[in-house]
Amino acid sequence: MSQTTQKTHLYEFHVKNAKMTEFAGFHMPIWYKGIIPEHTAVRTKVGIFDITHMGRTMITGAESEAFLNHVTTNDVSALTPLSAHYSTMLNQNGGIKDDFVLSRLEQEKFLIVYNAANRKKDYEWLVQQSKTFNVKVEDVSENIAMFAVQGPKTQTTLQKVADTDLSKIERFKCAFTKLVDTQAFLSRTGYTGEDGFEVFILNTPNTNPVNAIEAWNAILKAGTDEGIEPCGLGARDTLRLEAGMCLYGNDIDETTTPLEAGIGFVAKLKKDSFIGKDALLKQKAEGIKRRRVGLRMLEKGIPRPQQEVWKQGERIGQTTSGTFSPILECGIAMAYVPTEHANEGDKVEVKIRDKLIKAEIVRFPFYDQTQYGHGRKT
Amino acid sequence: MRTLDYNLPDELYYSKEHEWVRLEGKAAVVGITDYAQKQLHEIVYIELPKRGSAIRQLQTLGTVESVKSVSDVFSPVSGEVVEVNAELAESPELLNQDPYGGGWIAKINLTDFKKDSQNLLSAKQYTELIKTLEE
Repeated sequence: MSQTTQKTHLYEFHVKNAKMTEFAGFHMPIWYKGIIPEHTAVRTKVGIFDITHMGRTMITGAESEAFLNHVTTNDVSALTPLSAHYSTMLNQNGGIKDDFVLSRLEQEKFLIVYNAANRKKDYEWLVQQSKTFNVKVEDVSENIAMFAVQGPKTQTTLQKVADTDLSKIERFKCAFTKLVDTQAFLSRTGYTGEDGFEVFILNTPNTNPVNAIEAWNAILKAGTDEGIEPCGLGARDTLRLEAGMCLYGNDIDETTTPLEAGIGFVAKLKKDSFIGKDALLKQKAEGIKRRRVGLRMLEKGIPRPQQEVWKQGERIGQTTSGTFSPILECGIAMAYVPTEHANEGDKVEVKIRDKLIKAEIVRFPFYDQTQYGHGRKT
Repeated sequence: MRTLDYNLPDELYYSKEHEWVRLEGKAAVVGITDYAQKQLHEIVYIELPKRGSAIRQLQTLGTVESVKSVSDVFSPVSGEVVEVNAELAESPELLNQDPYGGGWIAKINLTDFKKDSQNLLSAKQYTELIKTLEE
């Protein structure tokens, strides 16, 4: 690992307890106990992830809403203060520059949280695009620690340490609260498919990490009775994949559009112009030629990214993510295939080490939504 | 993890690619070492060799996969695969739980173990190798 690799506030905890990896320029935990027990904790109880490596930019000023409506695809006018939504930024061709969650803290104050791998690119793009607007674009990544607490027992766990009634915060709503002794911002969001909160420990640079460490330890302690597990990037990846959520750089990039990726709901085409809108309108008019689909393996074998997808002797596409699903206990993948083949229930094959292994096209998420995920029937 | 945390029985031979060899008459039972299983962690799939197939030392004997990674298993010896541990297909976790027992991969009838052994390590030599990998 290079010497410039950055450390989060929780570095000492991670090194002591986890197998480490370098990810997007950060020393990060890949797993503590193991991917499977961490994954299972989030699906059935609660888990906590350090996601401080993600990028965070604050947008303030009179024209914040207009600026964000121009540079992002979702409808920022519909976002009320203390709400969040999932969105994307596009290039002029409609290709996805990044996907992220945007929170409106106040009428003229927004926080955008994007992928760690795109920190530099996104910030520079936002700055560049903001020049004709009366706004301030400030990278606040270094001044905030960020955790995701995810799973059905999240509210019970966090309520023990948060100074606000969490049951009043609906999904995709936010609140400022005291967490132990620290000022925090909570957002009922996440990237696992489960209910949960993302916790921002404000005004806490990693040169003075004590607030972040105290909050992390307090949440772990509060969740002990619920079976909380600290979770690494390994489980973060299997959880988002099982939930059918895209990983930037794998499943979406500047060559894929939201329409192809099946996240068209973030591109509000009725909105006044935004960067990439014309390209999306054109693509929609001409017909979307390929689609992201879920593949569930029908035979033994674990699909991985960039494997060929075949159907009746013809190569039709390629996987973009693939793993073993701890809940389904079989291989699952995401792939792009031509629209005419993107039908639920269609049988295809994935080429794994020169063998064609049978798979079926399935709907996202991969798991049974009555048993798992934020909409489960308890 | 420190080298002391690995179980490396004295009576086995080891390959530099982290397989072990236990001699049983003119045959050898082979598998992956405790170091290998701990590095892979949570093995969820194995592609086993075919019974009756001829294999040369360092050829691919099979493939093991954890949730995140894929690794080839290289045959530490040359010969004919005479038995395969079919139980691993249903219970690949045996490779983690009992790498030298229930996690054995194949039994190979040896062609020239004297020649094979030139590329194999003793437990002591293998321990030294792991120490260098962990530095």
